[in-house]
Amino acid sequence: MSILRSISRRKALRIGAGLAAAAAMGAPAILHAQTRTLKITTWGGKWGEIMKATVLPAFEKEFKCNVQADQAFPFMPKLQASPRNDPLYDVLHTNSNEQWGALTEGLVVDKISVKDVPNIVDVFPYAVSDKIVGVSIFTSAIGLGFRTDKGLAKPTSWKDLADPKLAGARGGYIIPVNSLGQAHLMMLGKVYGKGLTDLDAAYRALEALKPIKLVDFTGQMEKMLLAGEVSMGVIHDSGVYRYDGTNQPVDFAIPSEGVLALEQVLNVTPGSKVKDLAFAYIDYMLRPNVQKVLAEGVWYSPSNKKVKLDAKYDAKLFTTEAKVAQLIQPDWKWYNARKDDIDARVTKILRG
Amino acid sequence: MTATLPINRRPFDAGQTAYLALNAALLFFLLAPIAVVVVFALNPTPYISFPPVGVTLRWFHKFFAGADFMNALYLSLWTATCVLVLSIAIGGSCALALARGNLPGRGWLTAFFMSPLMLPAILTGLALFQSYLLAGIGRPVWGLILGHTLIAVPYVLRTTLAVLYNFDRRIEEAAAVLGASPTRVFFEVTLPLIRPGVFAGGVFAFIVSFDQFPVSLFLVVPNGETLPVVLFNYMKYDLDGAIAAASMVSILLALSVVLALEKLIGLKTHVKL
Repeated sequence: MSILRSISRRKALRIGAGLAAAAAMGAPAILHAQTRTLKITTWGGKWGEIMKATVLPAFEKEFKCNVQADQAFPFMPKLQASPRNDPLYDVLHTNSNEQWGALTEGLVVDKISVKDVPNIVDVFPYAVSDKIVGVSIFTSAIGLGFRTDKGLAKPTSWKDLADPKLAGARGGYIIPVNSLGQAHLMMLGKVYGKGLTDLDAAYRALEALKPIKLVDFTGQMEKMLLAGEVSMGVIHDSGVYRYDGTNQPVDFAIPSEGVLALEQVLNVTPGSKVKDLAFAYIDYMLRPNVQKVLAEGVWYSPSNKKVKLDAKYDAKLFTTEAKVAQLIQPDWKWYNARKDDIDARVTKILRG
Repeated sequence: MTATLPINRRPFDAGQTAYLALNAALLFFLLAPIAVVVVFALNPTPYISFPPVGVTLRWFHKFFAGADFMNALYLSLWTATCVLVLSIAIGGSCALALARGNLPGRGWLTAFFMSPLMLPAILTGLALFQSYLLAGIGRPVWGLILGHTLIAVPYVLRTTLAVLYNFDRRIEEAAAVLGASPTRVFFEVTLPLIRPGVFAGGVFAFIVSFDQFPVSLFLVVPNGETLPVVLFNYMKYDLDGAIAAASMVSILLALSVVLALEKLIGLKTHVKL
């Protein structure tokens, strides 16, 4: 008698029901195993709130994946310490200077093509220029923030920061650790010398800015302006515009020499195991509707030309070809190659 | 007729006055940052301003209402509690072995166990992070707890060794002579006598873990950050009173632990902290 014959119909039904129940119980685990995880870096603050509340959940739903968003600095040492064939991040979000550093170490890919990220066709040229590694999804403009209640005329030139009346009431950054400070140093070379790479002129101009209050975080400059500890300081436009409508006596000025671009750059790590998802994420971040939500949430200028911002934001942010033409993109590859020497020199100047 | 009573004045003591002035200056130096934190936490302006323009609890509300803050606070407390237990177990055992074990190279072993304090904690964090990744275990919470324990064990070791070196061994010998087994001597004589030293180290271990930043920086995962890491990242974007409120809560929590242990164990009657 075969085994099959020995199993009664009732027993077979019981076994079948048991297997079905086991399969149903195991199903979530199987589904979970199939759900891919995208590991990204992202900012905190208001940006992080919007990302967590709306942008990332919508991406996860559409692409049926989990996004693990790391907001805890420092991103670069963590990425450097992780294995190249299984990097800690699939998408690296940093400012432009750090992307160049990452490229030098082979931690990110050098270019992102339209084939991988179709929305690149709609971005302003600066977002994929030769000064960018990866793609810039937003930019801020580094200019001058100032108090409107101190009897100061709205600054029209970077040279206005050197006004003797502002001695001790002007603000800058600890240059070795802050990219706004580094960009400002290059701008001093352009304003007082032959160009962004004229370091001798920049050092002389930096010396002339003393006494100057220095901070390491950009957020601290906002607070110093709000508290009246500085009357004028180097800051990005979003750091001032975010107080729009709150009756704070602060405003932002675009100097005639131009403003420096502070790009928010996304790039993919070469060893990512979910590269297609990583590119999909960058493409998603360039969608007009996603760009609008974030641009209006944190006052960043969107890279996508097709984004239609509300009038309040459109009036101030860099949303047209003419406005974008005022943006100056520093050569971070050049700067990073000299960073150690520059750090030593500026530290000596600002300590002295 | 009124008589003027002679006033019994002590002669001016310049040395004592200078001593008191120095102590007052040191106290001011130690307490001034806490005073600034209190002012900032209660001031309604979203930036540090002095004098304060009013009193508000909005920053405490923001702190306690923030899911990120609360998750981080819970993780920090959980981690610090685990570290407290682990470091007491490991540090106490090591101290006993070093003080009583007649181990060869005892000096070297003591230096070895104290070595995590010699290495900058940021390097310890980076080294652990890389080791975990290379071992393929990622960054689990227990990895964070082990990292903190590594830093905290020397504190327990040092305070326990101090008690053990001042220990009158005749008490143990008396217990043994009276018939107590070695196990009984340990649990009924040795352990109660070294307990204050062990727990004093445990208090340090808890506080060191709760405030630990450099090691945590590399070992935390997204949505699983400890309070110091969350505060550091928050400060980069929003330097408002919520930071001060969080600091106040941290100070009060640390103080509560010290007071609770003092109440339970009576640390100050046994050891000078």
